Amino acid sequence: MIVTINKQDEKTFVVLDGRVDSSNADQFQKDVAPLMEGDNTDIDIDCTNMTYTSSQGLRVFLLLQKSVSSRNGKMVMRNMDPRVKEVFDITGFSNIITIV
Amino acid sequence: MIKKRFNPITDRSSEIIAFLMASPDMPKDDDLRFKIELSIEEAVENVVQYAYEGGIGWLEAGTSLDDQSLILTIELRDAGVPFNPLEMEDPDITLRADERPVGGLGIYLCKSMMDRISYRYEDGNNILIMEKQITN
Repeated sequence: MIVTINKQDEKTFVVLDGRVDSSNADQFQKDVAPLMEGDNTDIDIDCTNMTYTSSQGLRVFLLLQKSVSSRNGKMVMRNMDPRVKEVFDITGFSNIITIV
Repeated sequence: MIKKRFNPITDRSSEIIAFLMASPDMPKDDDLRFKIELSIEEAVENVVQYAYEGGIGWLEAGTSLDDQSLILTIELRDAGVPFNPLEMEDPDITLRADERPVGGLGIYLCKSMMDRISYRYEDGNNILIMEKQITN
């Protein structure tokens, strides 16, 4: 998974490209770690090119959402692949993460 | 059944998943492949992470396809600690983000994505069988 983070004024734009599975979830967590601290409280994640996630990836998204919520921030995931969206739906993550 | 025994299995989830997904029994349809790959990953990762102390042990992975019914069967076998993943409690998916525990979703995803999963412990082996109706 290639993670691109771009800060513009108060907003943090993230672009995800590729897949997150058991082989790269640890690296993915490290890559998004900067989003879990400081003033990254308005996060916009472009998921257009995220093609796959297993529970290992969901784990990281939950940690991220928990972190953002605890700092009274907001996080949006957009343009999710329908197959990936189904994984978020089945696990109830669609109810706890804003997906547009 | 097309099968292969992997030994040892530490850090080899990707290789085991790739072996199964390359089987001629697998469907071509991308949506089905996505669901099957996800289920395989969760089940394989479960064995690789937890079946053996120190990760030293084997896993036998195989597929078969019933030509008539087009039911795909994926079988995983290991000689690790007896563990029935189907006895794990389903996560409470109605909790808020701050209440949700991290983890515990893998087997639930398997159960959701496959049509049928069964487990048995036989001759010192954990045997997990997952079935999915496919179209070709």
